[in-house]
This record gives sequence, structure tokens and C-alpha cells, in this order.
Amino acid sequence: MEAKLSRISRTLTPSPIQELSHLAQRCGAINLAEGFPDFSAPPHVKEAAISAINADLNQYRHVQGICDLLAATMRQNYGLDINPLTDVVICCGQSEAFAAAIFAAINQGDEVLLFDPAYETYESCIALAGGIPVYVPLDPPYWTLNVDKLMKSFTSRTKAVVLNSPHNPTGKVFSKEELQAIAGACCKMDCFAITDEVYEYITFDMQKHISIATLPGMQERTVITSSLSKTFSVTGWRIGWACAPASIASAIRSIHVKITDSAPAPFQEAAVTALQSPPAYFKFLKAEYEAKRDFVVQMLSSLGFQIRFKPQGSVFVFAELPENWLLSDVMGA
Amino acid sequence: MFLSPSLSSSDHVMLLRPFSTFRRALLSSSLSNTPRTLGSFASHSTKTTLMASISTASTEKGASSTDQEPQKQQQQPPARPLQVAKRLEKFKTTIFTQMSMLAIKHGAVNLGQGFPNFDGPNFVKEAAIQAIREGKNQYARGYGVPDFNSAIVARFGKDTGLEVDPEKEVTVTSGCTEAIAATILGLINPGDEVILFAPFYDSYEATLSMAGAKIKCITLRPPDFSVPVDELKSAISKNTRAVLINTPHNPTGKMFTREELELIAALCIENDVLVFTDEVYDKLAFEAEHISMASLPGMYERTVTMNSLGKTFSLTGWKIGWAIAPEHLTWGVRQAHSFLTFATSTPMQWAAAAALRAPDSYYVELKRDYMAKKAILVEGLKAVGFVVYPSSGTYFVVVDHTPFGLENDVAFCEYLIKEVGVVAIPTSVFYLNPEEGKNLVRFTFCKDEDTLKAAVQRMKQRLRKI
Repeated sequence: MEAKLSRISRTLTPSPIQELSHLAQRCGAINLAEGFPDFSAPPHVKEAAISAINADLNQYRHVQGICDLLAATMRQNYGLDINPLTDVVICCGQSEAFAAAIFAAINQGDEVLLFDPAYETYESCIALAGGIPVYVPLDPPYWTLNVDKLMKSFTSRTKAVVLNSPHNPTGKVFSKEELQAIAGACCKMDCFAITDEVYEYITFDMQKHISIATLPGMQERTVITSSLSKTFSVTGWRIGWACAPASIASAIRSIHVKITDSAPAPFQEAAVTALQSPPAYFKFLKAEYEAKRDFVVQMLSSLGFQIRFKPQGSVFVFAELPENWLLSDVMGA
Repeated sequence: MFLSPSLSSSDHVMLLRPFSTFRRALLSSSLSNTPRTLGSFASHSTKTTLMASISTASTEKGASSTDQEPQKQQQQPPARPLQVAKRLEKFKTTIFTQMSMLAIKHGAVNLGQGFPNFDGPNFVKEAAIQAIREGKNQYARGYGVPDFNSAIVARFGKDTGLEVDPEKEVTVTSGCTEAIAATILGLINPGDEVILFAPFYDSYEATLSMAGAKIKCITLRPPDFSVPVDELKSAISKNTRAVLINTPHNPTGKMFTREELELIAALCIENDVLVFTDEVYDKLAFEAEHISMASLPGMYERTVTMNSLGKTFSLTGWKIGWAIAPEHLTWGVRQAHSFLTFATSTPMQWAAAAALRAPDSYYVELKRDYMAKKAILVEGLKAVGFVVYPSSGTYFVVVDHTPFGLENDVAFCEYLIKEVGVVAIPTSVFYLNPEEGKNLVRFTFCKDEDTLKAAVQRMKQRLRKI
């Protein structure tokens, strides 16, 4: 019966990250692998969800308020002008927003550029849609963009570039110059940019997250994906979104509606509360994570891990195994 | 589980390198194969003209309450307009958006949308609230919170007598919609033949098209929507990959009989065909016993059984569904699922586990309440002059509207909203060939009794032959 599996699913392998988390659970290890917090979600957000459940907001819904708030924050944070009625698709997490964007944009045989290292899900999603993932390595030790390598990776079949910034797993925040280079390439080659900005509020040392959609020529070809998960420590709620020009958003919406139809209703309601959090909340979030970053970097360094690049954002640090470590990265985990 | 079924243990270590080139090689070698053909994209001229006027997409589950304006021009048109994927050619907006907008405009009583206007039971809501308060707000295990998987298996065992492994044979998804998407994307190759029974829930055709499947459609016809045996026998062959069955059936309320399921089973075993079943209305089985295909001899090994929380517990917006299948099929479902949504809402899973442990009395009461609602609606529909087809399950009823003299189902529904103030759904959207559904419209009775009575009253007062 194994022959009955689709070709694509047979080539996909289980997520090593999820496997490690299961192993951690079984062994009682402290999990610093999978990217989710062990501290609480903010009380005002949890209460909003509870109120929604009690107020009988439990049937299929699309909560327009989320779109309105996103439009406002994008204007405020990034100077982006989006139409909340047409440009936003609420999805089950950034995961689904990304999947829907890929299925909306990618045909069989289309190539999609990814920066290496990359979050493991992107390439499998692209493959599931019939696309071909093409890796553009970032240059260690600071994971800088190599414009030469980038340009050489484009072919006539390149349909999109995936941009994850702040970056998982390196903690890099793409600089303005790097974004300009990527933007220039996308415009020249007439490609989509599909972004994953879930760590947009988690940047350190005065680094500012810049949305590539704000660069000249980019808004019309960019799909922004993000979510509540990391900003509000609710990774298990599955509330995310895709933002794109109306006709592209419409295509994404069409796909989303066939994948899940809608995101969990009470959490959509809670999102409205979350997205209205005062600036103090975001300051606090940043400060907390920066303190944790400093602690972890210091701790790992003192244990002999080499940390050549101090994370500028996200919740991850890329550490080189100590010299005297015998096992490979996964076996040693 | 670390290994895919087709790889040996010596590949174990290399597979676990997240950023290795090995995985990429594995992917690219599988992709440099013979060109796959995309599924046939049959043209549906009626459907596209119907939908061309609206640019937003929605299923029957409900449009947003605010209008979404079509925008044909982007602000700065690029030199060569970026093309969205070809697979979207068939995806336009649905009739549900149009009807919902009209309904709001005319203040109509909405018996079109397939979700309740009453809420779920308190004990389930409380369980979700408790889970949120207890901090169960982070990623659940991708294929389901263990306690929920166990509850699913226990319930399935009670219903079918089948013993299933919660760790290896259950996948939790964001609603049954995602279970369907994951099953199809995980188990169907482009070009594979899949058999569908029309009328069908609208996501089936769209998702099969996304997977590039070749759809073979068999129409179920009034008055009893029974499976046409000869047509089925000539449709199924060794080339068939899967058959998709929805029972109890949306929109007709038909329930596949044991004889029908046995016939389909025999043909599937003979031709080595998979079966995907959507059983979300299994607890809304009124006039007949619900039978799961998976429980028939020889069928578990080739069946994916899908279900969800929403209809049984009136919590359609929570998006909790699941797929039960033998390990080798679950593999495909889980792979697709992990790249579609990664994980399912955590607090709701905890609550769903509590829900599925509800005593039998809950289901008895659920049925009793729905049967009372159905009686109100059906009596009313008959009294005003519809030809009402018997519905054995679900909370839908289809009727023949032609006694009122309108040319087709869409025209009738528009008339019903504007002149009578009641919403029904034109069933032509549920057919591959819309012509086949033009005499039928679908009403739902998942509304409180006052709403149903109000709708019946309006129809009695205002519905006239044209």
C-alpha cells in the first residue's frame, strides 16, 4: 500500500525539530530546540480569548477587525499602505499563510530561492506545490548576503524569493542594503517576494526590522506573512496572516479557504485585543528577549560553544559545537 | 517515527540533519522525473459567469460581514503582470458570498449557511477556557495532543468497534477541511483518477484540482439519491486511485446504506482503490444508522476516515478535525498536514478531548433537538408547496423549487431572499455540471426554533408561484 502514497509525500521526511522535541519530552530534557516559549501568554490576550468563548463567538468567522488593525500597524511601523478590506488573509498561523501563498504563486516546475540556512518547512511546502527550492547560501560567520551568489541563482524559471527576517535559525536581521539588493533582483527578474516576518517585534541592539515591501517596486510583488505566535507567546493558537496586493491576496484567500476555511474564531477575537496592545508591551517584549539573548550567549560561550555571530533578532542563537565534541549536531542534541 | 517507510535504517543519521544537502538531493532527484500532467480543468461556464462579479472567496461557512470590494488594478502595474498559479483558474468566489451579502442587505432569515446560530455546550467551552488559563497555549505535537488522540480513538472504537493506535493512526487537523486537504495532497498524485459523488461539498473538487487529480463524477439523483450501481461499476477501474464518500451527505442528507458501502468496498478491493470518507455529520444520523466504511471487512487498510468537532458540538469556528487511517496512509496525511498548518490549536484540542468523552446522553439529546428542528422546517416546506426530498442525516434538506416557476436554483434563491426574506443555497454549486442541480435548493435547520418558525412563517405568507 506504500505505493499508494503520493510521490511528494514519500520524499518528505519528518521534521527533525519535532522529533527532537518528542525526544526531549521523553527524556525530560530542557527544550531549547523548538521555538516556542515556556512562559505565559500576556493575561490581557488570554482573557480576550476566554471572553470570546463565553460570548458565543465560536462559529465560523472572519474577524475584519484584525485586518483593520494590521493595516494601521503597518502604516505606523513600516509606512506601508494596505487596504484592510482586500489585502489581508487571516490564516491558521503563519504556516498556513505561507503554504497558501506558495500554492497561490507556484506552478509545477517554478523555482523558488531560499536563503541557506532556512527554516525547514519552506522547502517542503514548495515541493508540495510542485515547485523547486533553490538555495542561496548566506556567508558565514555573519550570514551576510552574497549578492553575486544571489544573482547567479536566478533563472528564467525563478518565480519567487523567500525572505525570513528576523532570521531563523541564525538570528540575523537583513540590513537595508541587503534588502535593497534582494529587492533590486526581484524587480529586475519580475519575481514574487514571500516573506516570513514572525519575529518582526523581536529585534535587539537598536536593530530595526524593515519590511521589504516598503522598498521601491516591491509592494506590488510582495506577500508578507506573519502571526501572533511569537509576538504574543501563543504559538498554539494558530492565528496568522498574509498581506498582499488585492488580486494576489484574493488568490491566497481562495487557497486558504480550501485548506482550512478559517482560523479559530475565539482566537481571532483575541487577536483584535492583542493587536491593540500599547507600545509598552512591545518594548517589554524586546527587552525581555534581549536579556534572554545576552544570558544564553554568555552561558553557551562559557561552556565552550563558539558564537561568532550574536543574534540581532528572533529567538535563536546559532552556536558552533565545542571543538572536542565528537557527535554530529543532531546526535549531540 | 524517524524513518519514512521507503528508507532503511542506515539512512537514519543523515536524515536527521536539518540543513544538509542530503535532503535537498532527495527532493531534487524525485522532482527530475517524467513530466506530471496536471488534472483536467473542465470549464464550467455557468459557474464562472456566476462568480465573475465577486472577487472574494468564501465557502458556505460564511462570508465576512463586511463587503470585500473587487480590485482589478494594482496601484503600480508591473511590466509583466505577475501570474498567480494556474491551479487557481478554477477558483473563483462562491455563491455563498453572494447569497450572504444579499441576505444581509434584505434582512433575510438565513437558512443557507451551514453553521448553527446557537452555541456549543458549556462543559466544552469551559474546558477550553481552563486550558487557556493553565497555559496550554504553545505548539501542540504536530499530529495531535496525546490526550486528544486517545479520546478520538476511544470514541471511534465505541462507534465502529475498531481498535486504532492513537500514536500512529490519528492526525489532528484544523477542521475536517484541512483533513481533506492533507489527505488529498498527501495521497494523490497529479493525474490520479478520483471518483466523487455529486452533489458534493465544495472544497472536494477544488482541493482535488489543487492536487492535479482527474475527477470522475457520479451523480446521485432524486428522489432518494441512491448510488447508481452500473455507473459506478463502469467508472471504477484499476486506474482509479481513490473514491471520496461523504456520509451523512451534504447537501442531500442521504446516508450511504450498508448495501451501497459493501458494493463500493467490493469494487475498491477488486481494483485496489483507496477510500476517503468525510463523516462530520455522523452524530446527526436520524433516519438510518451511520456506517463507517473503515469498519467493513477488508476496508480499514485502505480507508481514511475524517471527522470534526464542529458539527457535533456546535463549535464550527474552533477548527478541530482529524483523520484516522492505517499507518502507511497516515504517513502521507501527516506529511502534507505538517506543511499546511504545522500544528492545530492547542487549547481547543484539550477541550475537544473533553467533548469526545461526553456521555451518550449528550448525543441522544443532540439528535432529539435536531429532529424537532427538522420537523418544523420540513412541515413548513411541504405546506408551502416544495417537493421535499427525505433527508436521513445532517442538518440539511434539499427541495425541488420548480413548482414556483422560476427558471433555475439561483434565480429561485434570489427571489426567495428579495421577496420572501429567507435564504437557501442553490445546489448547482455542488455539481461538476451545474445544470444537474438547477431544480434543487438546500435549506439548513441548524438554527434555533424561533428562527426556523420565522422562516416558515415568511414563506407561508409571501412565497407564491410566479
